Amino acid sequence: MMLARVADSLYWLGRYAERAEHMARLSAVMLNAATDRTDAADQAARIALASIGDPAPAAEAMDAARVLVLDRESTASVVASLASARENARQVRDQITSESWERLNILYLRTTVANAESAFTTDAPDFLQRIIADLHQFKGAAEATMSHGDGWRFMLTGVYIERAQLIARLLNVCFGDSEDAVDDHVALVSLLRMACALEPYLRVYTADINARCILEFLMFDEDFPRSIRFSTHRIQECLTQLSGGRDVGRHDPSRIAGRLNARLTYADIDEVESGGAGALLTAVSAECEAIHGAIRETFVAYPLEMRLPA
Amino acid sequence: MFAPGGVTRANYRLLDQDIQSLGAQALADRQSTLERSFLLQGITFTVYGAGNTTERIIPTDLFPRIIPAAEWSMIETGLIQRLKALNLFLADIYGDQRIIADGIIPRDLVLGSPAYRRQMQYLFVPHGAYANVCGSDLIRGQDGNFFVLEDNLRVPSGVSYMLANRDASRRTFPHTFREAGVRPVERYPDLLLSTLKSMADEARANAQIVVLTPGVYNAAYYEHAYLARLMGVPLVEGRDLTVHDNRVYMRTTDGLQRVDVIYRRVDDDFIDPLAFRRDSSLGVAGLFNAYRAGQVTICNAPGTGVADDKAVYAYVPSIIRYYLDEAAILPNVKTFLCREPAQLSHVLANLDKLVVKAVGASGGYGMLVGPHASRAERETFAEALKADPENYVAQPTIQLSTAPCLVDGRMEPRHVDLRPFILSGEKVVVTPGALTRVALRRGSLVVNSSQGGGSKDTWVLTGDPGGQTEP
Repeated sequence: MMLARVADSLYWLGRYAERAEHMARLSAVMLNAATDRTDAADQAARIALASIGDPAPAAEAMDAARVLVLDRESTASVVASLASARENARQVRDQITSESWERLNILYLRTTVANAESAFTTDAPDFLQRIIADLHQFKGAAEATMSHGDGWRFMLTGVYIERAQLIARLLNVCFGDSEDAVDDHVALVSLLRMACALEPYLRVYTADINARCILEFLMFDEDFPRSIRFSTHRIQECLTQLSGGRDVGRHDPSRIAGRLNARLTYADIDEVESGGAGALLTAVSAECEAIHGAIRETFVAYPLEMRLPA
Repeated sequence: MFAPGGVTRANYRLLDQDIQSLGAQALADRQSTLERSFLLQGITFTVYGAGNTTERIIPTDLFPRIIPAAEWSMIETGLIQRLKALNLFLADIYGDQRIIADGIIPRDLVLGSPAYRRQMQYLFVPHGAYANVCGSDLIRGQDGNFFVLEDNLRVPSGVSYMLANRDASRRTFPHTFREAGVRPVERYPDLLLSTLKSMADEARANAQIVVLTPGVYNAAYYEHAYLARLMGVPLVEGRDLTVHDNRVYMRTTDGLQRVDVIYRRVDDDFIDPLAFRRDSSLGVAGLFNAYRAGQVTICNAPGTGVADDKAVYAYVPSIIRYYLDEAAILPNVKTFLCREPAQLSHVLANLDKLVVKAVGASGGYGMLVGPHASRAERETFAEALKADPENYVAQPTIQLSTAPCLVDGRMEPRHVDLRPFILSGEKVVVTPGALTRVALRRGSLVVNSSQGGGSKDTWVLTGDPGGQTEP
């Protein structure tokens, strides 16, 4: 049992922390690719920006990255996500351990001080690397110190819903339209980096980097924590435990999650490849939205008269 | 800390050795480590400025203030006596009002107080404990005696600083801490929890306690979250609660769940828009009716402010005598009520020597420190006094005692007061420790955090080293 508002904040804490990490990584990969003056570098920047719904790439990768990282006005930027994650954490300060709170708070304070912008300009890769490392520390501290009960499950659900959506969008930009799929080697490597998947991918497929294997890995791999299937599996697991033994009404989110997970578990890469990955990836995004809505309906914004104790 | 002639007093001797052996640089380092740790933990208050908001820590001084056992025991019995009498007073005022009928205190002074809540009249409060959490402000005058400057019976804050300061001083002076024999303050959260539990309806097994906060934008939000976390109870906001059929529920992921005791950190005016201020969005509609119906307990009870009103304060010694038939152990500071014409003319004639306070104000606002004010300021204040004498009281300017503080790498004396915390439910308990508030500007007598005050830890010793009292 926990307060509905608290569950909601923990869920959003998970989502924003994941979003901040993803945005920081996209920016880092984009800047790294931009050190080559090749078409593939431009393509990497286009992939990164398109995947977050920014269709017009800025002239300079550094300028684009600066907006992605530091723009407080844009809700998707790294600092805005960190501020929201921290604000949600502060709302539920009594629910998360001091160990995890302090990690997040340090990170927030470091990225919002007056000289954060100059730190970014001086050494952007280092600045971004530290953000990612700090977020790993936060998640690690939370994993190691928080009780893995309902609060934890709400946070984890937030992390994986956000992750499934971000990866689905990234893949959709690259492979959604089979006519125009990305096949340049450098761009594919950047894509794997954006999903933090290069090393694990190499161990499975060796250095044979091609679109089909990447799709298979990032969509269906059972063990890689950033594959869509891994995420949907976790979402289903958390939601099943959260709604276990409760009267959750007609919008049971675990049912939608189960359906989505089954779809990814039994999908076939040949089938996906022949029909174009776009349909399935779009469905993943839509179903994640549906799960999000069902979580609200069931646990947070339910009608009061239905839920009075006996 | 030092006796006349520069000799270190017995209770500070160990600490003094520690300070000497550490040296100035090490002390400064520890000070900055401490400040950083407060910032990281989020022990901050928010300053809202134009365009951007910043979070600041409340300045904290490394050096603990030390109070020997004998002296503490006097403070403790004095505080218990005082709170017992004030709770009896509240029960009487919200009951038959005998004390008014017997002519001990003027009717209009009590019922005209802005903190009086007629809605509380004849409402049952378990154990007669209206003020469950009280933080009284004590000062030590030049004669070495403690006085009560103010009772805070509404929603006193600062206890989280007492606990955080203790953590810090223990880390800074581990050796001295061990040797000195310092009484623990760490039990405060569980004492608070048992106090709150004792306020629940006895028929309800496993009473559900919650802490009600105005939310994350409140200056004391850190403290609300801290206490909820250490008591292991939910921290709720008004929007989490709902009243149905005179019962209070919180909205959980599992549906609605009944709430029995609310430790509210929201002012009276804001707890229920139906009973008090209609424009409040911080409270819960219908909460007060549920309280009247005995279905929930609100702690502190609404209306307790009538007993810490600055004019009622002047009558506390008589209140103690009236209900307990005892003399006050902790004296009041001499107070002039400007509502009395004779006292008003005395105050007007001596404005340069007195501190004048508005009855309804708190936090160091609406106040004139005569000796530090300019002639023009005093003249303006005199006009305000004459226009609305009922709204003012005056007290002699008391030279608060000082304690050594680390200022710019040096030890310097700063004026301090003392805020111990008293809990009252089935029993009355005083936590052996306090928040010592410090006026950080040299010579300043204002210790409020909203006016540039800081704080430091307070060690209550188990014994009396050398039989001496605190400087």
